Amino acid sequence: MNRVNPIHIAILLIVVLGFFVMKLGSAKEELSQTKTLYQETLQLSTQLKGLSDVYSDKNGVKKSLGKILKHKSLRSCDIKKKTTNSSMLISSESINKPALNLLVGKLLNGSYHISSFKIKRLSDDKASFKMEIKW
Amino acid sequence: MIYNQKRGLILFSKFNKQIKTLFLDPAASPFEIEEDVNIVLSPTLYWVKKVSLPLKYVREVKPLLPSLFEDMLPDGIYSYSAYKVGDEFYIFAYEDKVIIETLNSKGILPTQVKNVHFAQSELAELEGAFKINETQSIYVKDEIVILVPCCWIEESGDLNIDSVSLSKHTISLKQFGHIINDKSLYTFATIFSLLIILVALEYFITLQKVSSTSELRDKLFIEHGLKSTMIQNRSMLGEYKTLHKTQTSLREAASYILSLKLLKEQKLTQLTMKGKKLIAAFSGVKKGDEVVVEKVLKSKKLQFISNFKNDTWYVEIAL
Repeated sequence: MNRVNPIHIAILLIVVLGFFVMKLGSAKEELSQTKTLYQETLQLSTQLKGLSDVYSDKNGVKKSLGKILKHKSLRSCDIKKKTTNSSMLISSESINKPALNLLVGKLLNGSYHISSFKIKRLSDDKASFKMEIKW
Repeated sequence: MIYNQKRGLILFSKFNKQIKTLFLDPAASPFEIEEDVNIVLSPTLYWVKKVSLPLKYVREVKPLLPSLFEDMLPDGIYSYSAYKVGDEFYIFAYEDKVIIETLNSKGILPTQVKNVHFAQSELAELEGAFKINETQSIYVKDEIVILVPCCWIEESGDLNIDSVSLSKHTISLKQFGHIINDKSLYTFATIFSLLIILVALEYFITLQKVSSTSELRDKLFIEHGLKSTMIQNRSMLGEYKTLHKTQTSLREAASYILSLKLLKEQKLTQLTMKGKKLIAAFSGVKKGDEVVVEKVLKSKKLQFISNFKNDTWYVEIAL
């Protein structure tokens, strides 16, 4: 005999449908959160990579500074270079005006983490220079 | 082996004997039963026709049954059944609700009913008349089992339904046929099942998307060498942003200081950066003349303080 009440079948189907609709709702919400998190991570990682490439690339900074200091106008200025594990100290007891303009121009226009510097006028044409660059 | 066969037969007959057969007639006395039973329906509970049709199979006849009974049945919700004997079809119409109500009125629960048969299929071979209640007897005329008043036939015997060997012609009663018909039920069930399948599919696809997005994010962590937690990464980014802001401010402030148009006797004697401060020292600046420089620095929206110390004018710019 057909003993199953159709209302029971209807309720069962509605309950199953409701169950999946609820699960789908929570899955959609989870997907939305996951996507938001992914976008945030992508944005964060792009910014982080860009900034760390600029300020924390030890080899890049060293190579770039080496190139600047090898410039022919700076060779005669007795520029001293002291490198530690996390920074480089560039100094000159006496640097002439054109060389100072060149050096300061290159360093300020470059993307370096300048932690400190001091430029002191010695005469109309001479100055002392000290700068620490970190990475 | 013979022993096993005999044992099987004994068990089978025992099993068969356990299922009683009852003749269900609305005018009969109620039963007192506790076990499962087979039911043979009285002709009162169904409509029967013997028809010859140019069709071979019962399945071909079934769709035609409602139209074959058209204009013959009183109002009600009917189910139909048919079987073939020789070249003729015996076709039936019955109301599930009426049969179930009769079962209930006779003390038989629908769950106790094993099989339901028509008297037509089970008692067509009867010879003579048999009393089924105080006023009626059943009688076979032209191969159709019919009800006749007892007074018509004086020599009526009592019907021993248990002695009848039942055929395979059975029907299934639809307990809830009056609530919803089969077509609507199937339509409803089909639509809902399809919806369930669609929603379930969408659910599993969404889960897959969640999983693949998470994998992409994990790849980002590996490719960009990120720290294991977002708090650490956000903190690192915050530090880098502060550093970048300071470095940009330093370059802007230095460029403003180095491009100042000073008077002939005014000299920039020292430029120092320490922490988040840029300090410029000027010589030859007379008190009152510093206003011109301060005006320029203010126009550049720099935050600074200035003071004189031993004829030197100091400007301290916050980065």
